[in-house]
Amino acid sequence: MESFSFYSMSAVALVSALLVVTLRNAVHSALFLGLSLAAVGGLYAVLGADFLFGGQILVYVGGIAVLIMFVVMLLGRASDLHLRQVNNQWMAALLVCGISFLGLWKVIGLFTASKTQTPPRPTTHELGRLMLAEYAVPFELISLVLLAALLGAIFFSHIDKKEPS
Amino acid sequence: MTASGSEPSQTPLASAAPAPKPAAKPAAKPAAKPLPEPVFNQRAGRLIRDTRYWPTELWKDPWASQSYRRGAAWLAGIILGIFATGWAVGELAPWGDRIYEAIVSFVSARGWPAVVGEAIWIVIKALIVLHVILINGLWAIWWERKISAHIQSRVGPTYAGGFHGWAQTILDGIKLLLKEDVTPTAADKWVHALAPAIVVVPVIIAFAPVSFGVELSAANLDVGVLYIFALAGISVIGIVMAGWASGNKYSLLGGLRASAQLVSYELPRAFSVVPVLMFAGSLNLQIIAQAQSGYWWGVVPRWFLFYPVVGQVAFAIFLIASIAETNRTPFDIPEAESELVSGFHTEYSGMKWSIFFLAEYGYVLLASFLLAAFFLGGGAAPLPWLSAIPSWIWMLSKALFMMFVFLWVRWTFPRFRADQLMDFNWKFLLPWSFANIALAGAYLLWI
Repeated sequence: MESFSFYSMSAVALVSALLVVTLRNAVHSALFLGLSLAAVGGLYAVLGADFLFGGQILVYVGGIAVLIMFVVMLLGRASDLHLRQVNNQWMAALLVCGISFLGLWKVIGLFTASKTQTPPRPTTHELGRLMLAEYAVPFELISLVLLAALLGAIFFSHIDKKEPS
Repeated sequence: MTASGSEPSQTPLASAAPAPKPAAKPAAKPAAKPLPEPVFNQRAGRLIRDTRYWPTELWKDPWASQSYRRGAAWLAGIILGIFATGWAVGELAPWGDRIYEAIVSFVSARGWPAVVGEAIWIVIKALIVLHVILINGLWAIWWERKISAHIQSRVGPTYAGGFHGWAQTILDGIKLLLKEDVTPTAADKWVHALAPAIVVVPVIIAFAPVSFGVELSAANLDVGVLYIFALAGISVIGIVMAGWASGNKYSLLGGLRASAQLVSYELPRAFSVVPVLMFAGSLNLQIIAQAQSGYWWGVVPRWFLFYPVVGQVAFAIFLIASIAETNRTPFDIPEAESELVSGFHTEYSGMKWSIFFLAEYGYVLLASFLLAAFFLGGGAAPLPWLSAIPSWIWMLSKALFMMFVFLWVRWTFPRFRADQLMDFNWKFLLPWSFANIALAGAYLLWI
């Protein structure tokens, strides 16, 4: 039962990810991106990482996917809806994907021996303790990076109103 | 538009004497028959300005009217009847346990695997939760129509079903089922058809961890609060899809406004609950409700609403953001009728259109139950000597009261402008919800 859910979720995630880059309509691509991200959240749920599932859906499906749709709809041109979206550098993209897949495969190989065999229990309490005690410094560093990205986005999109045009 | 200045203004009355002196009517329309002299409302001997006729003599002594007495008796009878039924039935959780045991013994007597019993039980729970949402749709629409009518001095639906037009929504539902399902030529057919489903399905799934009383929820999830907020966020995609796929520029504008508003208001909504989670120390709705049991000095319930300052600020921000999340009137710029011809659902008709409304009322009910669980003590009785009445009755009463507040707000306030809406969220609600988290931390550290 669990492996059936796992493989069906994986299939949904992979097929919809493929449709994101092959469909001609940009809005359809954005929708399938949302589906793909939701299926990844489903994978977390199947593996017993319930907090990660909630976070994935909240941030990626409810936030990122909606923002991408917002941008596609706001800045969309008529050509977005029927022209081929795949660009000419697909060879390079395929190469990058292959190399990162191989790297991840090696990393997974290192950790397969230490896989836990116990059934997962609710872990939110533990997760919170780890984030704010043992891994507090990396956690804050990531927050700093996100804050810098936020300020950068505001800086670059800011229009100086005082300057006379 | 050009004839707007034809009505004579009432400015001479601004400085009028305390008595309802018959105002000298400016002879504006000589041809028309003279209207009866308006009776103006007064309070404490002074006129309430800018009001027109209200049957004051009728409301001097409302108990003299037989229909008023009968209505009050009905209301008291209904409330007492609900409480008596609750007292007779008792807690619902033991009944659930009994049904579950019956299913398990039936399955094992037949020699089927135990998974079958679990599956049947899950299906029963899912069906019950689904019907909570469906029946809520019927009930909430009727209630909204009656309450909006009485707020506006009308009577609302009266005939269908006999008792205050209770069957009106059922008849309207049949009408909507029989209406033609129109898909515009300019629409993207698949996205247009899927959008209502994407809007309504997350509401139904999000009800899984909602607690309807002590030990009474379809799934006792450890991350219940996060799960509800996460799934409630998916509906935005459906609204954006509906707006884009309709092939109509008003709908597109509605979809854009909806995505901007809902993504913005999700933040203060989630952050306003953080103090509650800090006090309760859990994301589980059952544990949050349990953390509020007991009474201060034996009378004041230990609800999070009564925690000084922190509780009230969190409650207010959560209520405001929840109203914004359901696209209801002070925050209904995504579907503003006067600007966007009802926005993202302009091009929908029949059942597809009504599914959007089912989702909206589902979200209202969800927010009401969350408000009851987070701030109003869940299934706890408001006074210690009322605890003979079971928790599900209290939970339902609190949720329905909060639902009344939702309707009350909708029919009282005018609509925000789009930029005011964003300013209010980013410059007022969000900073105050952060300050509230800091204040809750100070409480936990030093008190």
